[in-house]
Amino acid sequence: MNLEARKKALRFLFAPIVDKLGYKFNPVEEDTDFLLESEVSLEQKYGFPYCPCQARTKDRAANMKIVCPCIPFHREHYDAMKRCWCGLFVHKDVSDPSGLKQIPPDKFNKKNRT
Amino acid sequence: MKKVKMYTLSTCLWCKRTKQYFEDRKIPFDCVDYDKVDDAEQERIMAEMLEHGGGGSFPYICIDKDVVQGYEPVEFDRLLGRKDK
Repeated sequence: MNLEARKKALRFLFAPIVDKLGYKFNPVEEDTDFLLESEVSLEQKYGFPYCPCQARTKDRAANMKIVCPCIPFHREHYDAMKRCWCGLFVHKDVSDPSGLKQIPPDKFNKKNRT
Repeated sequence: MKKVKMYTLSTCLWCKRTKQYFEDRKIPFDCVDYDKVDDAEQERIMAEMLEHGGGGSFPYICIDKDVVQGYEPVEFDRLLGRKDK
């Protein structure tokens, strides 16, 4: 399958999943297209459409938690940011994602522990 | 001038934007693409990130001894002592 066809397929596959989680594709089409293209390249190389902005390691269980859409594994963290880490998905109520900040996982965890 | 070092992923949009931020301001930086180095170097980078509280989320930027994880231009400005935003 060529790149454009696979990007289209991933959109088709992901949209109903993230919809049920309260998310939608990032409305900034240029960003969404870049991220999907990265995911297709990762899928072609490693077999899974991993998050393009999180690292794979030798820990397979940890790697499975960054296969897109990885929202269920990071639900509270992403809900706090109103976006996933890479920004492919944003909360349904977000019309302009430019102001959404990435909160590092350790800062989010510290905040939630206190 | 403060020393800037960053770890990035070649597939990451925010890593690309972070590099662009420093390039646009002509601020020199050292950069390593985590996904382009061998296993041993990846393990070293991950250990360094974990030691400073960062997990496997990129970009990871060190400005002297301060660490920023994520694309945070306002924080970059602050740490670099830049007034123009």
